[in-house]
Amino acid sequence: MSAQAESTKADADDRVFKRDLLASLPNLRAFAVSLTGRHDKADDLVQDTIMKAWANQKSFTAGTNMRAWLFTILRNEFYSQMRKRGREVQDSDGLFSERFSVHPEQYGRLDLQDFRQALDKLPEDQREAIVLVGAAGFAYEEAAEICGCAVGTIKSRVSRARTRLQELLGVSGESDYGPDAGDAAITARAFGS
Amino acid sequence: MSDEIRKNHDMTTAETSQIKPGTIAPNASISRKLKEFYDAVQEEGIPDRFLDLLERLEAAENAQKANAKAVDAK
Repeated sequence: MSAQAESTKADADDRVFKRDLLASLPNLRAFAVSLTGRHDKADDLVQDTIMKAWANQKSFTAGTNMRAWLFTILRNEFYSQMRKRGREVQDSDGLFSERFSVHPEQYGRLDLQDFRQALDKLPEDQREAIVLVGAAGFAYEEAAEICGCAVGTIKSRVSRARTRLQELLGVSGESDYGPDAGDAAITARAFGS
Repeated sequence: MSDEIRKNHDMTTAETSQIKPGTIAPNASISRKLKEFYDAVQEEGIPDRFLDLLERLEAAENAQKANAKAVDAK
């Protein structure tokens, strides 16, 4: 390849990189909000992620999953910042009360606030698992890669997260969302449970 | 209720609800809420600060490239 052709190809790669990065941003940002629990922190995290991604774009293999790559960078950044803050993070009760009393308007639609608070009460590993699989659109395998753990670990975290969210949100099951109590008993018998 | 009728009744109930009570139904509601919450953030779009940042990064990169070319040309 001539030097001319090489530089044209590099320019095209750059354009694709930027386009894909832009296209991934809303999803990436929603993940950041899910992890941090607040918009201002989330946007700082996204900014750091963009800078890191840009600086490391040579390490990204064109044609592979950019979204997963970006999510991995953001997640690593999040945990490394948390480790640096150390003590602040240990005071999780204080952090939660500050989060939810100071800027309630930051938390979006009113009917989703309960959900958001419940999500925030999950341990980090469960929260990221259920968000990656249940909302961000990743397969279990991709989520496992992003989190650097086994697929089975992700599955069990998602399952524990669901159970915990049900408890926190007081979703009792059949009375609110399923068949009525009488039907439920019959259905349970039909399924032998 | 005779066994025959009960069997029919059970089958109908099982078919209409399709799911085991207390497991899938609340999960469906949790999943829906999670999706709603997540989508609400996604729909906020891309804040200007990120568009500005990308433009600055690109400008810096272009300047660097132009510089490198100028050095090559010498």
